[in-house]
Amino acid sequence: MNVDGKLKLRKFLKEALEKHGDQGELSDSESLFVSGRLDSFSMMQLVMQLEEAFGLDFSTVDFDVSLIDSLDEIAAFVDANASA
Amino acid sequence: MSLAPGRPALRDFLAIDERERLVALAQTVRGRVLLFVVAVLAVSTYNSWSEAVFVVAAAMAFATLEKQRQLILFAATYAMAFSAFWLSETAIEENIAVVAAQEGIGHVTPLLLAHLALITFMIFSWSALMVVRKHKSFVLARRPVIALLAIYVVFCGLTSLDLLHGLPRLALWSFLSVYTPYIWFLAYALGDQRARDRSPDTFQLGTFHPFWGGPSSIPFGKGAGFLRKTLSKTPADLAVTQIKGVKLLLWSNLLLGLKVVLTWLCEEQLNIPSVELAVGAYLDGQGFPIALGWSALLWSTAKFCLRTAYWGHLFIGGARLAGFRLPRATWRPLEAQTLIEYFNRFSYYFKELLVDFFFVPTFFRVFRKHPRLRMFFATFMAAGVGNAIFHFVREVDLLATMGLAASIESFTSYLFYCLVLATGIGISQVRANAGYRPSPTLAGRLWSFITVWGFVVCLHVFSDESREHTLLERSSFLGSLFGVS
Repeated sequence: MNVDGKLKLRKFLKEALEKHGDQGELSDSESLFVSGRLDSFSMMQLVMQLEEAFGLDFSTVDFDVSLIDSLDEIAAFVDANASA
Repeated sequence: MSLAPGRPALRDFLAIDERERLVALAQTVRGRVLLFVVAVLAVSTYNSWSEAVFVVAAAMAFATLEKQRQLILFAATYAMAFSAFWLSETAIEENIAVVAAQEGIGHVTPLLLAHLALITFMIFSWSALMVVRKHKSFVLARRPVIALLAIYVVFCGLTSLDLLHGLPRLALWSFLSVYTPYIWFLAYALGDQRARDRSPDTFQLGTFHPFWGGPSSIPFGKGAGFLRKTLSKTPADLAVTQIKGVKLLLWSNLLLGLKVVLTWLCEEQLNIPSVELAVGAYLDGQGFPIALGWSALLWSTAKFCLRTAYWGHLFIGGARLAGFRLPRATWRPLEAQTLIEYFNRFSYYFKELLVDFFFVPTFFRVFRKHPRLRMFFATFMAAGVGNAIFHFVREVDLLATMGLAASIESFTSYLFYCLVLATGIGISQVRANAGYRPSPTLAGRLWSFITVWGFVVCLHVFSDESREHTLLERSSFLGSLFGVS
């Protein structure tokens, strides 16, 4: 994932966190979903965002939350699975 | 002290988990004894003194004795499960006694059958975990919830459709009575077998109705997969988590106190009836002031909310004492500005169960080219279909007392509740995704509060768990509150 993609992703996640009343910092390795900072619905919104932006097909993946639990993990997942 | 700037003074005062001196104290023997005593006092409002001491001691031992964690979790969980039978704290023995009486079997006690059924279930679960690890293409591994529900349906059919009689029926019914409240726990454990860092089987089995979680069929803390990821990593982290746990336990007691006071005020002083009685009186044609009908509905909803929040805080407080940094089960539900927010805030672990087992599988499989329909349908499957299945399965005892057909018929009202709730939440979800944001002004917030809670209160007529009245009777009662007869 390039720098621009990661910035966009960070913006999306920061907005999602703010919607949950979370104004705290977000580091690249910090857990988003397992920690409870974001809930499952936010996870699905993230999935849709990733499908749209990177052409990912999650139905072919043995999905587990740990695949996309932090910015670093999302970037690694996108790099490994992006179609374009 | 390192408290957040710009936060209201009361919140600053309550943020004791951010006070460095207290966090340091909680890492000493003196601090742990203090946490233990306060926690026992708080938990004793729900459990007996001896159980409260046991639960808190087990939680703190689990947190402290890292090498013995699996053993402590497993032993404490099943000590609580078996002692609940001895103390008749579950409905399982009662369910077994009903069928024993129907079959005229008096020589085997329900207590013995309950014990045997739980042991059988533990063996069954352990075998199931091994099977799905070895055979990843097996239906139990690929579709655990569908497989577990299919087993439930088959067992229900065998025990309620006049196919089995005598001891075989009683034995199967005993197993079903134990199996049912454990279904969702086992589903989480089966799902976790796919994980690279899955927990050992004793840990998995220890998370089935864990010792801090009471008799609820909702897995507070989800499964082992979620729990191990939320475990505190450092002594300071553990101290903060345990202080937060004690805070939550105290908060649960405040809510309990509020419920006691309101119950005294509403039921003893103001004579506000339950929804069940109010609907009954309305159907009997008794003169029933509309204001009293609304009072019954409002009080019933408030009582349900207080009870849900009390239990959730109590169980999560216990889990935090064990070192699990779990999110709260109920989080400021009155601040919900949309229905989807209400769904997220009201009962987090129930919502997570519905999302994990109904929303996610649907979301990944259907309407992938139609984002709005996809989101609506997946939300509907969770809040509607999953919700209905969870509640029908949970009340397995009604199959014995009412029979299969009557049990399904009496469920119509709750089914309607799920249908309307799911449609509302689904629309709210789609609107939120489309960028709709409620107005942040005071008037906007007030409007959001009235619409969200107005919807929840009105719908509560249909979710009343008594199963006493039909859908039509409840609809007629609700209509009468709006002056429609």
